[in-house]
Amino acid sequence: MHALEARHAPVVSLWVWYQVGGRNEVPGTTGMSHFLEHMLFKGTPAHPKGDLDKLLARYGALWNAFTSEDVTCYFETVPKERYAVALELEADRMRNALISPEETEAERTVIVSEREGLENDPSFLLGEQLQRIAFSRHTYGQGVIGSKEEIKLMTRDGLYAHYRRHYAPNNAYFIVAGDASATELLDRAAAAFGPLEAEAPSEPPKAPEPPQYGEKRVIVRRAGGALPILQVGYHAPCASDPRAPALSMLAVALAGATAGGGETASGRSSRLYRALVDTGLATAVDASFQLMKDPYLFVVEAHLRSGVTHEQVERVILDELARTAREALSVDEFARTRRQMLSASAFMTDTITWRAFRFGQLLATGAASSLAEWYDRLAAVTAEEIRAAADAVFQEKSRVVGWFIPEAS
Amino acid sequence: MNVQRHRLPNGLRIAVAPISGLRSVATLLAVEAGQWFEPAGRPGVARLCAQAMLRGTTKRDAKSWADALDAIGAAARLDVGSHAATFSAQSLAEDVGELLALMAEAVVTPAFAPKEVELVRQQTVAQLEEDSRNTRAVAEQVWRELVYPPAHPFHARPIGDPAVVRAATAEELRAYHQRAIRPDGAVLVVAGGIEAKRLFGEAERAFTEWSARGPREPRSVPSVSLGGTVRRIEIVPDKTQSDVVLGWPGLPRTDPRFVPARVTNMVFAADTFASRAGHVVRDELGLAYYVFSTLGTSRGQSPWTVRMGVNPINVERAVSVTLDELRKIVAGKVSEDDLELAQDKLVGELDVARESPGGVASLMLEGEVFELGPDHVERYPRELRAVTLDHVIETARAFLPPDRHALAIAGPPLPVAD
Repeated sequence: MHALEARHAPVVSLWVWYQVGGRNEVPGTTGMSHFLEHMLFKGTPAHPKGDLDKLLARYGALWNAFTSEDVTCYFETVPKERYAVALELEADRMRNALISPEETEAERTVIVSEREGLENDPSFLLGEQLQRIAFSRHTYGQGVIGSKEEIKLMTRDGLYAHYRRHYAPNNAYFIVAGDASATELLDRAAAAFGPLEAEAPSEPPKAPEPPQYGEKRVIVRRAGGALPILQVGYHAPCASDPRAPALSMLAVALAGATAGGGETASGRSSRLYRALVDTGLATAVDASFQLMKDPYLFVVEAHLRSGVTHEQVERVILDELARTAREALSVDEFARTRRQMLSASAFMTDTITWRAFRFGQLLATGAASSLAEWYDRLAAVTAEEIRAAADAVFQEKSRVVGWFIPEAS
Repeated sequence: MNVQRHRLPNGLRIAVAPISGLRSVATLLAVEAGQWFEPAGRPGVARLCAQAMLRGTTKRDAKSWADALDAIGAAARLDVGSHAATFSAQSLAEDVGELLALMAEAVVTPAFAPKEVELVRQQTVAQLEEDSRNTRAVAEQVWRELVYPPAHPFHARPIGDPAVVRAATAEELRAYHQRAIRPDGAVLVVAGGIEAKRLFGEAERAFTEWSARGPREPRSVPSVSLGGTVRRIEIVPDKTQSDVVLGWPGLPRTDPRFVPARVTNMVFAADTFASRAGHVVRDELGLAYYVFSTLGTSRGQSPWTVRMGVNPINVERAVSVTLDELRKIVAGKVSEDDLELAQDKLVGELDVARESPGGVASLMLEGEVFELGPDHVERYPRELRAVTLDHVIETARAFLPPDRHALAIAGPPLPVAD
């Protein structure tokens, strides 16, 4: 358990990070962690279905949950005087969720609907395929939401067993930030979670991804999008790797600190924006290095303009990536990149919810043990370290390339 | 909340809420140059103008301006809505002077260089192409076409009409800029780690050159009403899910019935869990992953719409149960508990929004833009609490007649009814 004081607003944000996600699933049960996340809102003996939703709604809470490849996370940001109730709700559902057969059936169609909504997005369809071909052994290749067929086959008993195995105090990080002393926040959390029983630790998945010895490619053809999309991924180190801060900076140097469409004004000095958007080859470009427990992917995604070919844009991207691996950023470019990265960190921690999120993310992925440590590591990155990280990651043989090709309807 | 205000000689109104202990500052500059100010029949000109303002000024080209913005690490964007063009940004407190200078440069002295206007046009055309296969965008556009006549400023989405976007010239954008991007009627709202006195000084320095030529053109948004139920289905190929927009023309933010309408919206469908339709459609029947309603804020009748993503076989049922919930409200079958839940949520959200400088700035913006009074932020929660069940029922009857609605559906073909 970790607490952060944040005294600028009468609000408390609490987050529970369970160490279970898509990586803990096996073929046939893909999407189980995400399905389970939905079921945690369906009641406990003490708080029947609807209690949690209505209580949090009454508080005007900002609350939600998400599942990733690595974790399942629940959070509530509430007025300070409501903190105790939110804490009690989280502690209660850590061990006492009902996950009834009836509610499992009712929620199944909602999750299928969520999946179908994602399938409407060509970028999701391509990304799912890119992730699948990138990992031959590691469960990261399965993604998070699961296949529609497997969602339809998910059983209540399977979900419940998954829940009992992974939802326990010894398999979670609890982060709280807000308008009280850290001691008080921690004492209350200890009182809520302390009585809960630990579970026998579950074995982490053991399927390390072997090295890739040559580029892999995938094409998705559908009429569902009007414009072509290109994704270029490279196998990249995990969050605890010493190069992780430099790779985070590299993503900013390539495409800015905030992704966005035409309305976004920042990040336009980045290399790929200049090379693709300013030149009229693409409408948007993004580069991402995610903090993950195991080695994952550094991904560049570009949405092409009509009439522009994938080959053209791929060539430009590969040239720019090669340049970052060959030459260090100029003094001005490095200064802009550094400032964007450090400012983005400050913006995040000025919001209580995102301060707690960031801290939890750093802990859960092993990136750092505190916000200050991560900030200091980012601040210490040099232009040469960014170049060296690019050189290490941007290798042809560890590349995966995906094309979305729109078909005529 | 400690809000301090100042007005520059050119008419720009400034409101600042200092928050101690923060390193950053959220800045919103809203100019009353949204869709309602566009020339008749020229939808898309406001957004094109706004986007072109980000691509170079008379003092420096687009590249240099972007370099300067990124050099301070600010996050910034410029959006056009039905009412305003809003420049929103977050910067470190120490950089707020430079940020305001960059904003002012873009807003007051844009270059509208033909090359840059062309780039913005091509980007917008590409976005419109992309939107033509995006079920949410198609459903929204179809809904607008059902409700607002072609000459109405809300007939198109803010991105505009493809023909207008293709034809607009740099001269047209320059003329629009001169007419619409004015300091009188504009507001600058700032919240975060800065003292009011310093902010007023920085704003004065940045915006001193901004002046208005002549009096503001009077503007009004034509009123609309639905004579009956209208619906249209648009097939978008190779999609799995249908996006649905069900709605009615709303009411101006300045209408005294707006706050009751906002509470009614929450009772009806604004939230998946706190609202009746959301609860039934998602939680009880599992028909949709997302369902929510929004009530637009402008000086006209912005859309008041329920949106949901539904499998095609469930579309008719999802719409039907949503309307059933509305019929119950109209018939007075709504409880004090429904009302209290809606009020608690709306009031509670105001407290939670104070957790971030952006949240505080957003809380302030609506009151400043629509000139709802210097005590709006303090008064608003009491106004929400003062809404009664009778207000909710009256509002639903007046603005949300269940049997006179507009329904737009975009996605795969719907199954044929037996």
